[in-house]
Parts: sequence; C-alpha cells; structure tokens
Amino acid sequence: MSLVAEAFVSQIAAVEPWPENATLYQQLKGEQILLSDNAASLAVQAFLQMCNLPIKVVCRANAEYMSPSGKVPFIHVGNQVVSELGPIVQFVKAKGHSLSDGLDEVQKAEMKAYMELVNNMLLTAELYLQWCDEATVGEITHARYGSPYPWPLNRILAYQKQWEVKRKMKAIGWGKKTLDQVLEDVDQCCQALSQRLGTQPYFFNKQPTELDALVFGHLYTILTTQLTNDELSEKVKNYSNLLAFCRRIEQHYFEDRAKGSSSIRLS
Amino acid sequence: MFSLLDPPVGAMSWPLCLLLPSLQTYARFTGAPLKVHKISNPWRSPSGTLPALRTSHGEVISVPHKIITHLRKEKFNADYDLSARQGADTLAFVSLLEEKLLPVLIHTFWIDAKNYVEVTRKWYAEAMPFPLNFFLPGRMQRQHMERLQLLCGEHRPEHEEELEKELYQDARECLTLLSQRLGSQKFFFGDAPASLDAFVFSYLALLLQVKLPSGKLQAHLRGLHNLCAYCTHILSLYFPWDGAEVPPPRQTPVSPETEEEPYRRRTQVLSVLAGLAAMVGYALLSGIVSVQRATPARTPGTGALGMAEGDEEE
Repeated sequence: MSLVAEAFVSQIAAVEPWPENATLYQQLKGEQILLSDNAASLAVQAFLQMCNLPIKVVCRANAEYMSPSGKVPFIHVGNQVVSELGPIVQFVKAKGHSLSDGLDEVQKAEMKAYMELVNNMLLTAELYLQWCDEATVGEITHARYGSPYPWPLNRILAYQKQWEVKRKMKAIGWGKKTLDQVLEDVDQCCQALSQRLGTQPYFFNKQPTELDALVFGHLYTILTTQLTNDELSEKVKNYSNLLAFCRRIEQHYFEDRAKGSSSIRLS
Repeated sequence: MFSLLDPPVGAMSWPLCLLLPSLQTYARFTGAPLKVHKISNPWRSPSGTLPALRTSHGEVISVPHKIITHLRKEKFNADYDLSARQGADTLAFVSLLEEKLLPVLIHTFWIDAKNYVEVTRKWYAEAMPFPLNFFLPGRMQRQHMERLQLLCGEHRPEHEEELEKELYQDARECLTLLSQRLGSQKFFFGDAPASLDAFVFSYLALLLQVKLPSGKLQAHLRGLHNLCAYCTHILSLYFPWDGAEVPPPRQTPVSPETEEEPYRRRTQVLSVLAGLAAMVGYALLSGIVSVQRATPARTPGTGALGMAEGDEEE
C-alpha cells in the first residue's frame, strides 16, 4: 500500500470498531490449500485469536485471485480488504489492538528480525518443497492446486504457478539447492527458534506476540500435514520446546475457545 | 594460508555479493591468514566466478556461505564465544538484512538511473578489460532488475514509484531497528566482533563510504549516529591502511594499474595487428599490391626480379 493509501486506511480503520462479521478467506481446506498457504492462514487466525477478535473462516477456490496482493489469506472487515500478516497486524493496530505494545525497542527489533527469519527460511523451504521437489509436486501439489478446476485449466494453472515459483527460487539463490540442503536450513531455523524460545512460554515471556502467531502457524502446519515423506516434520520434532509451544497455543487459543463458541475450528 | 580472489574494490558484483567485503572483514576479525588477490576478470578466477577462496590444500570454494563454513572448520570462528541465543539472533538479523536492506541496495546501485550511470557503470567499465566493459555492466543491470522484480514487484507491477517508496521505507525501518539493537555497545554482542558484525559492517560501509548522487538511504543512515560511529570504529580497527582505498569513485584507482598493464599491452598489440591485417587485406584485394606466383622453372634470380618489378609498379 502506498503511504497515502495507508494513512487513509488507518484513519478509516481507527474510526470503526471491529465488526462481528469479519471474515477470513482462504482456499478450500480439504482439497486445495497447500502447505505454505495453510501456514499463513493459520498464523493470521492465531494472531486474531490472540487479540480476541472474532473471525469467520470462509473457504473459496479462487481466494488467491480475490486477494488484493495475490496472496492468501486476506480478511474482509467492514468495507476493507487486507491481505498478508504484516498489513493485517498494522490494520489491527490502527483499530487499537496490538500485541507488541509492551515490548521495548530492542525487543521489537528482535521480533521483526525473527519474523523475517521465519519468512526467509521456513516459508521459502515450504515453497521449495511444494513446487521444486519432483516427488511432492507430482503426487500432491499439482493434484491439489488445480483440483477445483476442470481439465485442462487445472494443469495449466498448476504449471504456471510452478514456473513462477521456480523463477523466484532462482532469483534468491535457492534454485540450485538440493532437498537435503533445504532440510538443513529448516533445521538451522528451528534450532534458532528453539534457542530463542528457551524455557519461556512465549517468545517474549508471558504474552504472545505476532511472532508467536507466525511461528505457530508454520510449525503446526508442518507437523500436521501429510507429505510424501516425514523428513520436514521430523526436523521440527527434534525440538521438544517447540512442540510444547505449539501444543500450548493450540490448547489455549483454539481448543478452549472452540468449547465456548463454534466460530473457529482447527482441523 | 588462504588466498582470496577478490575483484578490485568497487568492481564485480560488489553490491550483489555483499558477503564479499564481509568475507574480508570476517577474516580480519578472526585473524585468518588471508591473502587477497584483486582481479577484475571473472574468467581468470579458478572457479569462473568471484569471490573464490583457494585453500592451502589447493581446493577452490566459491559459494560465500561455504567459504565462511570452511574458515570455521579451520578453527577461525568469530562466533565461538556467543551463547546459543546470540547465535539465533545472528541468524535472525542476517535474514532481516537480506530481506529488507539488500533489495534497496540493489535498487540504489543498479536501478536508480542517476546512481547507475554516474557511479556503478563507471566503476565496472573502468575495472573490466576490453571488450567486457561494453556489455557486462548492462547485462548485470538487467539481471539485477529482474531479480528485484521477482522479489518485490510480483503483485504490484503498476505502481513502481509506490513500490520504491515502500522499499525505502522498509529499509529505513531496518536501519533504525539495527540502530536500536546496537544501542551504545561497541559491537552487537558485547566487546568482541562476531560474524553478524561482519555482515552489518559490509552493508553499512558500502552505503556510507560511496559518494552517491542520489542517496536517500545514505542521508537516513547518516542520521543514525551510533551506526556511523560503529562503522568508523571497525574501519579504524581492522582496515586502517585501507581507509583511503575504500571509496574508489573519487580517486583514480592506482593499485589496479599493474593488473591493467598486461591488458593494455595486449590491447595495443591486438589493435596494431588488426590494423595491419586490414591494410594488407585491402591492398591485396584492390590490386595495389599483387603477389605473383613464381613458376618452379624460374631461377630464384628472375623471381627476385619479378618482385622488384612488382615493387616498381607500386
């Protein structure tokens, strides 16, 4: 968003309170959504839960095309549409809810840095696995990505997306990496997160922040998604404090809430 | 003993391979015995690309991360004293730099029209041998532009100016975050430099030292006094004699002249030969000079006479 548009949106956002009918759009959960998109969507859901803001999850086959930036998930609040975790956090902040207000400057810097680490390594590794690893591509990705569309559209869209992702991988230097190197990077990233978390309940001690939401989104998705092999989830399972962290957030923000209201379910 | 094949300061993928000066810095922090060879033709490096590290066993490594891993294996580790959490912080901040600052640096040096024409292209054209200096800088610019578009511009192709503003805003925020993290410490993790310091220094030094015609980010960086002091401190500690060498555009490069000697000689010889060949070819084709084949029956004497006649006709 440009600076002017951002200021404008913040102004409008600040005026209206969070409505009851806010919706989050993602692709079809059962048949279509892929690992990386699922992780992003879960991160946003977790963040909104942590802020105590009600949200309804709606699954649409063309969610990617509806989104203003081309990425899922996006939320529809009032008459505004905002996509991706970063802008959503800012939007929510403009409405007066923030998780990171209690942090000092150094902690805020660290939080931003760790969020970039997750985006840089975990998200890229997920994209690599989905689109550049031949086994996964053949067995899972192509079938899932184009599933709502008839032949030949499903094949065309899948190949187009794959080509785009491969170009991007090449641009950032991941084109020549092997699967083992990518898994090693994932391991390094998990190690860093595990070391940073230590024995604390959340990354910045007692209160969760958007970093916790993002990490939860990615790790939980990796742990619960069935891929061609288990190597990716094994890397995460090596770190017991990360497993405990995921469990804690799932219990606190999803299961307990689900018992109270049925607006969101984690499956 | 390692020898690092390095392009002359200011040439060959410097903004792209920002690990390059950071490799030198890392080596100096750890005290690794590194000899730096400055060459400007990537084809002269043993692996075909720069930077390249030749180890004492004769092995050649050219991927920057592997170079650092190799140095670590040889017990030159700047991160030895860091705690696990500080190591994690290093990884996080390096990711931050690569995501937020690197695209803007590429933009500043390669996409911004004024900077590219007046600074970057001139550097490379001066440092490279003929005929590479005609097409290589242009090719590198196109590669960088494509890379930047893939990284950032996928979803917003129509708002280039807005995209630029957003990129610069992100970079400014990143610099401010670095400044806040550094605080008033001498290095990021206490009193001894670590690999994070090498990375940060290489990015910041590039921004600070080069005189750019349109340096929006530079102005912001200059406002962050603790980062400027940090750079000067590292420069004075680890690069005391190179301090004057670092900003090349204002000074005529004195050191690469010795490297250019063989090129200049070769270029001269080649151009003289080419000129001669052109003249002789033209003379033969237009009939000014004709070579008459002497028949085997002729004695050498008459053969020489024939040649003399030919000369007289000319």
